Amino acid sequence: MATIELNGRTYTVDENGFLQEPEIWNDDVARDFATTEGITDMTDEHWVLVRYLRDYYLKYGIAPMVRKLCKETGFRLAQVYDLFPSGPANGACKVAGLPKPTGCV
Amino acid sequence: MTPRTRFSDLSRRDPERLLHLEPADLPPLPLDTTAPSRPFPVTRPIADTVAYALDDTRALALPNPKTREEEDELVRAFLSGMEKLFSRENNWTFLQPLVLSMEHCAHCQTCSEACHVFESSGHAELYRPTFRSEIFRRLYFEYVKGGGLVSAWQHGSVDLDWPLVARLAELAYRCNLCRRCAQTCPMGVDNGLIAHEIRKVFSQEMGIAPGELHAAGSMLQLKAGSSTGMIPAAVKDNVQFIDEEMTEKTGTTIETPWDVEGADILLIHNAGEILAWPENPGAFGVILNAAGVSWTMSSEIAGYDAVNYGLWYDDAQMARVALLHVQAARKLKVKKIVVGECGHAHKALLVTADRLLAGDMRITRESFLTVLRDIVMSGRLKFDPDRNDFPVTLHDPCNMVRLMGIVEPQREILRRVCPRFREMHPHGVDNYCCGGGSGFAIMSGSGFRDWRSQVSGRKKLQQILDAFSDCLDPSIHKYVCAPCSNCKGQIRDMLAYHDLWKRHGILYGGLVELVVNAMEDVDPGFIEWEWR
Repeated sequence: MATIELNGRTYTVDENGFLQEPEIWNDDVARDFATTEGITDMTDEHWVLVRYLRDYYLKYGIAPMVRKLCKETGFRLAQVYDLFPSGPANGACKVAGLPKPTGCV
Repeated sequence: MTPRTRFSDLSRRDPERLLHLEPADLPPLPLDTTAPSRPFPVTRPIADTVAYALDDTRALALPNPKTREEEDELVRAFLSGMEKLFSRENNWTFLQPLVLSMEHCAHCQTCSEACHVFESSGHAELYRPTFRSEIFRRLYFEYVKGGGLVSAWQHGSVDLDWPLVARLAELAYRCNLCRRCAQTCPMGVDNGLIAHEIRKVFSQEMGIAPGELHAAGSMLQLKAGSSTGMIPAAVKDNVQFIDEEMTEKTGTTIETPWDVEGADILLIHNAGEILAWPENPGAFGVILNAAGVSWTMSSEIAGYDAVNYGLWYDDAQMARVALLHVQAARKLKVKKIVVGECGHAHKALLVTADRLLAGDMRITRESFLTVLRDIVMSGRLKFDPDRNDFPVTLHDPCNMVRLMGIVEPQREILRRVCPRFREMHPHGVDNYCCGGGSGFAIMSGSGFRDWRSQVSGRKKLQQILDAFSDCLDPSIHKYVCAPCSNCKGQIRDMLAYHDLWKRHGILYGGLVELVVNAMEDVDPGFIEWEWR
């Protein structure tokens, strides 16, 4: 496992840059990881998606269906990509401190 | 490009990678060159993180021995695993074709030009399909067959040490196992099989496999029920959501039957579809319900996820998962298992499992392609093909088409429901791999996504662009039909990588979605022209 230093804080990450200790996640961690996705300003829209992902993950242990994410947050997928250029799985999940989604997704 | 790689380079101990590709090394794509292209290769210094780097990416987290003794221990483990490959007790799956492939290569190189990785790399010697095979063959003659001076003279030799073993492990993950080379070989030598068998040595004997395929793949599937991590309760919850969506979208009530004892068909999807492309399992439900088919899904562990990643790297894992699939079917006493749009699941459960299943375990297994063809051609559903009035091309998943020879059913369907269907060239059993085969589509760390988007997938990308060369205008919506989750994921990633939805209006999806989009009895507009 590698470590990464962001804004003076050090995190353990996998080789795709996903946080390996989901329990330490908080808003500062989200902001730090957002910088790795080229997001300098976490807007309210970013937070809506991040909080939904976070809550779902705490409940079910995995990331939600992208379709469900869109339907329940009211965002179209294209908007999700505008906010998180690497997409919901590789971008938004990373900022929300979820492990990288597994399987053929 | 770096100079032509030689076998002896694999033993090098300097930090330089053996192969480094520059954009100019790669064959040009028929793309608008004024648009910005993605830089390649990644600038990440692979050599800093890997002791004996192979090329611009890496698939494995290899051990990092500190002393020569530790290195020798790993080499001994490799040799021990290699010997087991050539015994009937330890290789009940592939011993015979492996021995034939070791003994009968005539070194004619007919296979090389058939390989999309070799061609798309600008003919980098390291990726020549016979390069890794020949190293393995020389080790076979020297260490499995006993070697000796005459053997060394006749077959050649390589220096066996840890750097060579480590690089061979990586090199086994630069082949898609598409077996196009095997198809073209006049002797029937199968370089794809050799790459597969090398992977087996590392996994079965040394516990070395890509994390996406093993720890977060087949192990997770055995534990949770799916490589996606979905437990039975989660999959039922998600499918219920899909049913609601489908009901809303099609105007017909869709309810997926779960655990129905005595159903004709147990349908097993690649569970990735449920999470990433819910319209695919949704479309299956619409078609099967409309056609009045007796079917069910299973909520047993692995009974709802057809994937079997062991197929790519570990026979024991393959067998464990295949047995769960069969058990789920036996428990429900269904007449047969039908595998959904997943190519490697076709190979694992419909073909390779024949080497595993005995007696009453041999339940009937069938591809969705033939089932779907029979439904579409039976006249039970009414179609309005004008609803599919857009250019469609078809990708042939290697495991369904080249391996199993299922060529026409999907074409009969497309000719029935897609008036503007056009072939890629070549196609059918001569197709090219999507570049994501053998697990690559779900591997992305350490520059792997760049590599498969730029090198292993390049030939397929070229075919897609050529198939649509008369209509590249982004205002014309186009559809790449890829009836396999793995291929679909790879094609999605490549289209995104090169921004082809925005630049050229090229979208992708499965086969059942096109069928439902043309069904008269459902509301129009099943296929949504939005990036997904």
